[in-house]
Amino acid sequence: MKLILKFFIAIAGIILASSLPVLISGWLKGEWKWGVYFESIRTTLEELWPINEIAFFNYRAQQPMPLFPNIYEYIIYSLEILFIALLVAVFVSLLLTVITMLLSEKARERVKMALYFLESVPDLLIIMLAQLTVVLFFKQTGILISKIAAVGDDRIYWLPVLCLAILPTIQLYRLAMLTFQEEERQMYVDLARALGFSKVYIVLVHMFRNAIISVFFQSKKTMWFMLSNLFVLELMFNLPGIMLFLRDNMYPSAFLVTVFSFFLPMFVLYSFGEWYFVRRLRGKGAV
Amino acid sequence: MWKQPYFVTGFSILAFFLVGSFVYEWILGDVPRQIFYLMENGRAVEGPPISPNWQYPLGTDQYGYDLLGKLMLGAKYTILAALAVAALRMLIAVPLGYILGTYLDKHRKWISSLADSMHYIPLTLFAAYVLRPVLWMPPDGFTSTIWERIGLQVVIMALLTVPIVAILVANEAALLRDKEYILAAKTLGAGRLRIIRKHLYPQMREKIAVLYGQQVMQTFIVFAHLGLLSLFLGGTKVSYEPMLADPPMSISYEWAGLFGSTFRYLQGAPWLPLAPVLFIGLAIFAVSLMMEGYLRSINPKVKVRKKEAAKDPVVEWNREQLRKQMIRVKGNELRNEN
Repeated sequence: MKLILKFFIAIAGIILASSLPVLISGWLKGEWKWGVYFESIRTTLEELWPINEIAFFNYRAQQPMPLFPNIYEYIIYSLEILFIALLVAVFVSLLLTVITMLLSEKARERVKMALYFLESVPDLLIIMLAQLTVVLFFKQTGILISKIAAVGDDRIYWLPVLCLAILPTIQLYRLAMLTFQEEERQMYVDLARALGFSKVYIVLVHMFRNAIISVFFQSKKTMWFMLSNLFVLELMFNLPGIMLFLRDNMYPSAFLVTVFSFFLPMFVLYSFGEWYFVRRLRGKGAV
Repeated sequence: MWKQPYFVTGFSILAFFLVGSFVYEWILGDVPRQIFYLMENGRAVEGPPISPNWQYPLGTDQYGYDLLGKLMLGAKYTILAALAVAALRMLIAVPLGYILGTYLDKHRKWISSLADSMHYIPLTLFAAYVLRPVLWMPPDGFTSTIWERIGLQVVIMALLTVPIVAILVANEAALLRDKEYILAAKTLGAGRLRIIRKHLYPQMREKIAVLYGQQVMQTFIVFAHLGLLSLFLGGTKVSYEPMLADPPMSISYEWAGLFGSTFRYLQGAPWLPLAPVLFIGLAIFAVSLMMEGYLRSINPKVKVRKKEAAKDPVVEWNREQLRKQMIRVKGNELRNEN
């Protein structure tokens, strides 16, 4: 019940945001256009109603095309890249964390420091360096590792996924390191150690279970950051995804459609995770 | 703070860019050096864009302007704007957060889920979407001045994530509010305002400083992303000529514009888009250095913990003492339970 309420509040927030440009263009003239703002929200919602009839001018096809079901292709492609990258980032960062936790205190502090500064690398730099490397490699050896731009309906996967996954991996890695170290100070770790369990076993089985919850709840920021990255990525690689679609159609209704296409899967993911972890926390307590 | 090498290094990088930017303009004027071809042994060997060499460390752009000069001239706009955006955001969000966390605590839940919906909107996309009417030049030219536009852009970008930051502060304040010493202060008759001023704010000063640093870094990134979309700081000059239209241009030499107008040259003249992004990265790096230095100066816990561990003597108990202690601990536990 609470969840449904949260869902509707979030939707309301997004709808309120979708017509903001109207309000802001009023500021330029030094006035508040509340009337026009609410009018714009109303017309946007009305436009959305028979959802099958929305049509947008398609930039690539040079003619108006109905939004559904064409848009599914864009959405699915974007979501594929986003979620593959997320999976890769989560997997790699957790793996690295577990490995780092087995090292000595001094080495761990160094790793954390390095990660902290690596976080300040702009995503654009990573993408550009990746593209340059691929071209350089191609020039040197004649082997094309991956295409660096999509033409027409091409689908390229692994290079964009790699570029998208690097920064979230670093962020999650650092986050997980902090959480695991926090967890290490708990009593049950001392107890387990006193009982003679090996370090690997304690980290993998006991600490992992508890730390993962905290990492999950803090990963929302990373996810948010990834969405912005995805946007830039689609522009730089010219990927036919939903973000590129929006760039060509900056209207409130297109904005709503785009945001909803991310909002729905992410909301489901986070609500499910929250439900699962909270239930586990209540059911068993620290394991 | 000023003894921390991290902080000093980060500060010097930022200060170098800022001071250098003003000094450059003061000495060499606001137009960078221009060169039309590179001579070698009396022959022209390279036309613009000229690749990096000793005389032009970062090369020149497609019109022959010195890239390093452009970057130095633009540094002040980008850095000051990012600092201003983050500062304004904190100025609005922190008091708002405190109010939410104390006066409006009953409503915190639903306001926080409303702000939470922001997490599903990519920030860059949102910024681009909202700023477009302000920054994109209409066909009949801008009606506002450049400073009006920069001001408006700073305000809007500051406002964009105010809800998220405010909720962060509110949740933190609500956590602190349950602490005993605040309860004690309340019992002694302290009003909410006094609690905010004397207890919550000093407790959270550190966190707020870190939050400010994070906002500055995020703003740099968003500037760069907006540059990619040809939305430049202070407006984008668009040529509406039907034939031979110039590409969208930045009005100042700010970094996002330098990057955004050249990223198409990535393969041909990689230094053109790479240098501005590297500079942005350097600025972000400087901020994170400053944050780390600041934190270390406030709680140098890494060293202290080690010293304490070394000092802590191993207490040798004999049986009798141990039993006494155990009884005392047990007694404490019983008392706590009651």
